[in-house]
Amino acid sequence: MTNDILKVGDQELGSRLFLGTGKFSSTQAMIEAVKASGTELVTVALRRFNRDQAEDDLYGPLSLLENVKLMPNTSGAMNAKEAVRAAMLGRELSKSRIVKLEIHPNPHHLLPDAIETFEAAIELVKQDFLVLPYIPADPVLAKRLEDIGCAAVMPLGAAIGTGKGLSTAEMIKIIVRDASVPVVVDAGLRSPSEAAAAMEMGCDAVLVNSAVAAAENPAAMGAAFKTGTEAGRMAFEAGLMPTSEIAVASSPLTSFLSASDD
Amino acid sequence: MIEQLPDWLNPEPWLNLDFSAADIERAIGADAPNEKTMAALLSPRAAEFLEPMAQRAQAITKRHFGRTISLYTPLYLSNFCNGGCLYCGLAADRRAQRAVLNEAQLRHEMEAIKEMHLEELVLLTGERMPEADVPYLKECISIAAEYIHNVNIEVFPMPESEYRELAEAGCTGVTLYQETYDQDIYEKMHRWGDKRDFFSRLDAPDRALKGGFRAVGIGALLGLADPTYDMLCVYRHAKYLLKTYWQAGVSVSFPRIRPQMGGFQADYPVDEKMLAQYIFAMRICLPEIPLVLSTREPRRVRDGMAGLGISKMSVASKTTVGGYSDDSEESTEQFEISDERNIPEFCEMLRTRGFEPVFKNWDATYREPAHYAKA
Repeated sequence: MTNDILKVGDQELGSRLFLGTGKFSSTQAMIEAVKASGTELVTVALRRFNRDQAEDDLYGPLSLLENVKLMPNTSGAMNAKEAVRAAMLGRELSKSRIVKLEIHPNPHHLLPDAIETFEAAIELVKQDFLVLPYIPADPVLAKRLEDIGCAAVMPLGAAIGTGKGLSTAEMIKIIVRDASVPVVVDAGLRSPSEAAAAMEMGCDAVLVNSAVAAAENPAAMGAAFKTGTEAGRMAFEAGLMPTSEIAVASSPLTSFLSASDD
Repeated sequence: MIEQLPDWLNPEPWLNLDFSAADIERAIGADAPNEKTMAALLSPRAAEFLEPMAQRAQAITKRHFGRTISLYTPLYLSNFCNGGCLYCGLAADRRAQRAVLNEAQLRHEMEAIKEMHLEELVLLTGERMPEADVPYLKECISIAAEYIHNVNIEVFPMPESEYRELAEAGCTGVTLYQETYDQDIYEKMHRWGDKRDFFSRLDAPDRALKGGFRAVGIGALLGLADPTYDMLCVYRHAKYLLKTYWQAGVSVSFPRIRPQMGGFQADYPVDEKMLAQYIFAMRICLPEIPLVLSTREPRRVRDGMAGLGISKMSVASKTTVGGYSDDSEESTEQFEISDERNIPEFCEMLRTRGFEPVFKNWDATYREPAHYAKA
């Protein structure tokens, strides 16, 4: 797998597992999980940047990791204007132009707002961000975001933190089929087998957070997701055997086509 | 004057139902909880199922909030009050040492709070008084917002236009307990003043959101009335707010009558097991919203409830005016706090129990009045 490089805009990543950094029991547990997962791209919420309190700050410890790129996210923004402002601040603080554009106006289910996300993406692309929008699994929206210059699209498998897996599988298959930018399944995954399933479908990467942070052993689960993601990617590259809904009839329907006229 | 509660609030259809053990088990595992689920989980019968309720509540909390507990701290601006709340040690007819913070004192307090690294604050006053009216609050909010990210209020209800002024000054959330949703008891408890207007208070979270607040916290003061009635109302009130203002944050707190200078005895005492049962019920029926526990509760209960439904807690609470910087030690406290640990001690407990204490969970860059379609 070492030569399997994922390109997101001008960034090259050796791992197809992206990790979220919230919800862990401690910064130490989070850092251990990041290391065990082999991820090279982590997302951290601007609202959890806390330069005044080292113990609460997620950014500081993450910025010290080698070979891990930072992707600040705009979680907490209710609309495009706030997301753009958050992205600017995140870039200034982290010196990373990669941004996970995340606008969920409802603070409880945290589902993304397609309309505000689209508007913010236009502005952020203009401002030279590498924009990875977290979106509903909507194939048309995915293409629209690609058209305006997003570096990837990140449709949800299920609502954040639900662990309901690839509930949107059929839509994600269409997004993958049509996309010219990387497709990253973000949110909803619970188990490494689901990460594998997403990769087998042809997704370019997966982003997980709760599944690792809320596991009994987050570091071990980070490693399991690494393996699951890699296995799914290998299977995709190897070419899965076709499935068939119908058995081949012993008297084919088309035999008349090779019969001669009497 | 007793008016019918609005349809979205009225709990009558779910009162006095009989629930079997199987009903309780079904409610604990409910996929799509509703009023009947809530009523089942609040019922005396469900008290026999406290452990499975706790386990479900813990699993839901972990899934949604991870292994974190958000922290905030209250700051008493003023304890002047003309209110007639029968249960409050600071009511107008109580002998109390009154105080209000001036700007220099507030800055002193804010520096002390900043020193503790807290980034979420609730500013408190009593009822509307000349000493602490809206212009004063506005100034306090602006000052507090210079120091920390997330400034909230727990003050008297006001019209939408005044809420808007405060939102524009940098205030994000309002906590306003109905105290009780039982109008008979409400009338007896609130002997005079603006607070006697039950429906104006009930409507205040709507006015705050229409005025641009981003979040509201609601609750009933447990002990005043039949807790099943009040908890059903809190649940229905939260659901109504969530549906009407779908972008707004809604949280629920569980204040319980504590010993105070007024010597008030609760007519419907709620013991720790009942409190836990109500918190579990609320978590199972409202899986996604923050549930809050304050330092009114003793440390054993707070330690045990962390993550068992509860996702947010107050810390280092001082219920006197000027409490953080010892400016005015003599002012009377609103209630006795039961958990007197300082922040490092409290955080140490959380970490030992596998929770990360979160000091900052919002950023001032998002600070601007919200807009809701229904507003």
